[in-house]
Amino acid sequence: MNLEKVVFGFFVTLAATLNFGFFIGDISDPEVHNEYELFAAVVVNLIATVLKFGDRTQIGAVHLATSLVADLQLIAATVFWAYAAHISTEGLTAGATASIVSLSGGALVANVVSLVLLVVETSSFRRS
Amino acid sequence: MGRPRRAAPAGGESSQRRPAGIVSGVQASATIFLILRRMRAPLITLIIIFAISVFGLSLIPGQDADGDPARMSIFDSFYFMSYTATTIGFGELPTPFTDAQRLWVMGTIYLTVIGWAYAISALLSLLQDRAFRSALALQHFSRKVARLREPFLLIAGYGQTGELLGRSFDELGRRFTVIDLRDARIDALELDTLRADVPGLVGDARNPHDLQVAGLGHPCCAGVLALTDDDEANLAVTMTAALLRPDLPVVTRTTSAVVAERMSSFGTPTVINPFDRFGDHLRLALRAPASYQLMTWLESGPGAVLPERGSAPAPGRWVVCGYGRFGRHFAGDLRSAGLEVTVIEPQPGHDPPPDPDLHLVVGDESDPAVMASADLATAVGFVAGTDNDRTNLSLVAAARRVNPDLFVAARQNEPTSAALFAAMDVDALLVPTEVIAHEVYAQLSTPLLWRFVRELPGEDDDWAAALIDRLTTSCDEELGALWKVRLTDEEAPSLGPWLAAGALRLGDLLRNPGARDQVLPAVPLLVLRGEESVLAPGDDFVLAPDDQLLLAGRPAARRGLEKTLVVDALPEYLVTGRTVPAGWFWRKLTRYRPAPEVPGAR
Repeated sequence: MNLEKVVFGFFVTLAATLNFGFFIGDISDPEVHNEYELFAAVVVNLIATVLKFGDRTQIGAVHLATSLVADLQLIAATVFWAYAAHISTEGLTAGATASIVSLSGGALVANVVSLVLLVVETSSFRRS
Repeated sequence: MGRPRRAAPAGGESSQRRPAGIVSGVQASATIFLILRRMRAPLITLIIIFAISVFGLSLIPGQDADGDPARMSIFDSFYFMSYTATTIGFGELPTPFTDAQRLWVMGTIYLTVIGWAYAISALLSLLQDRAFRSALALQHFSRKVARLREPFLLIAGYGQTGELLGRSFDELGRRFTVIDLRDARIDALELDTLRADVPGLVGDARNPHDLQVAGLGHPCCAGVLALTDDDEANLAVTMTAALLRPDLPVVTRTTSAVVAERMSSFGTPTVINPFDRFGDHLRLALRAPASYQLMTWLESGPGAVLPERGSAPAPGRWVVCGYGRFGRHFAGDLRSAGLEVTVIEPQPGHDPPPDPDLHLVVGDESDPAVMASADLATAVGFVAGTDNDRTNLSLVAAARRVNPDLFVAARQNEPTSAALFAAMDVDALLVPTEVIAHEVYAQLSTPLLWRFVRELPGEDDDWAAALIDRLTTSCDEELGALWKVRLTDEEAPSLGPWLAAGALRLGDLLRNPGARDQVLPAVPLLVLRGEESVLAPGDDFVLAPDDQLLLAGRPAARRGLEKTLVVDALPEYLVTGRTVPAGWFWRKLTRYRPAPEVPGAR
């Protein structure tokens, strides 16, 4: 067992699950989308991205790309949340919540691609 | 290349088919991967520290502006941690903290400072890292080489020879790339005041990959010069170039006949043996001092000062000190010129054994008794040819004491001794690096110069002296630029009808287009027509289409001639003295038709 692979798989999966946890629920209801879960998703996604740095294989490059997409979407969601909750006079409205959640939904797709890649990589691995 | 290679059944044939582009982009893009890989741990540490700090701060109970209990939001926590962790420190925002928050912040301040310090120090140590720096330099170099869009030469080995040559080529506006084993030489290249930006790589020329990076596979590469002082490396460069780019001309140097033989088995490289060439030069110098003077001058490159003309000694006996590679070559050259030779050598009988019918004096050169037995008083020439500069200098001094009228030739091994040999004022000085540099320059600067130099020994001494006089009257003692003119429709559109009619004499072409009674300060050195060449043609030489001219002269002459070649009205003015309209309007007005009216040619 390779500890590096365990850590890598752990973070990639955790990024996807946290993202999913935030995304699931009524898209415009702020009550069912926890901001801490979004925060955790951003942090875990960033860690997963850094873990993918420096891998020169083709699949590693695609891994990094999907992670960067997820980061971009999640950070956009966070910035939008900060704007809605702190700057906008209307507060966290249903429309704002829908925007945040849909952005995180985009990140979820990227994370799912990442997961698929992980599974493909694992299943194509042969002990020589 | 030093590694033993697996014997391939198909031998050279299969290797020639190998594509030239074996250089991988992997090494060039390795830099960014190196940074990313090394920065993994610091970045993850930083992210985790930030996450814990922000998360904790948003959970600790605080109070709002009215003193009511309230928690900081994640947004506020992140804002606070950002300016605290980066040691900017705006204070406790948005409201003063409770003691519980301060307790947490105290811990996180220390944590984040450690995180930043770790990340920054990791980045800095990466920048200092030797492997990283060389990876960066390599990337920079290969980008510069890839961007070259004009023909360039690849110089492997930037020692004295490379430097001399590089300056000459730079003077001519030719581009080149450099690869050398020592950083000091590449630093010297960067400090040198060359006009063009010359990419230099610290690398091993024996490594085909490094050569590829230096531009061997580049479509604009026009030639490879193997000028290192290591025969093995020169051989490796020759082999690599011959196998990967068989179409490129290769010039290489060696002083060993064995290595030269091995080099010649790969393609058709030009192998320059400085000792050999010096022997040829000295024979020319003894036979025709003016021809030798002219050849050295032209080979020295633009801006060279006219060297002094030596005086040839009467035929007689020569004394050669040192019977190493140089002495052996040289004694052979002298003997084949029909001269008697006495050789002094402390340890003869090394392989190969000395010539049996050679007059050999065995003994230390510095021993007066040995010198006396060589009987210098009756000799005409003396050669100090050991591989030690101090010995050579003292030999020259000792020989002159015995016989002040000797023709003295000496070999200078180290560039630092140049001043000493100049002060000794020897009659012929061999500086191997200069011999090679001049030779390569003559071959590669323009093919016409090489042709001229090769055919020069066939002319007699008075002819050479006359040509030197012509050169010095038109360009002073400093050699002007050498340039080539092709009388084709592209390069000389105005001359077309005149050349076709056979009505243009060289003397007319070289008149000043502003005032035809003045002559441009340029000397035609050679006219090449097809495969035939005429050396230093006179004013009455009639030019033909597609002739190639090699001219020496001032930049003003070059500009004047270029004007003549493109302005339609000028040839008629130069030949007949009539000013004809150059513009369309005046031609219509005067009903002039540009056609050569050739006096006496009908």
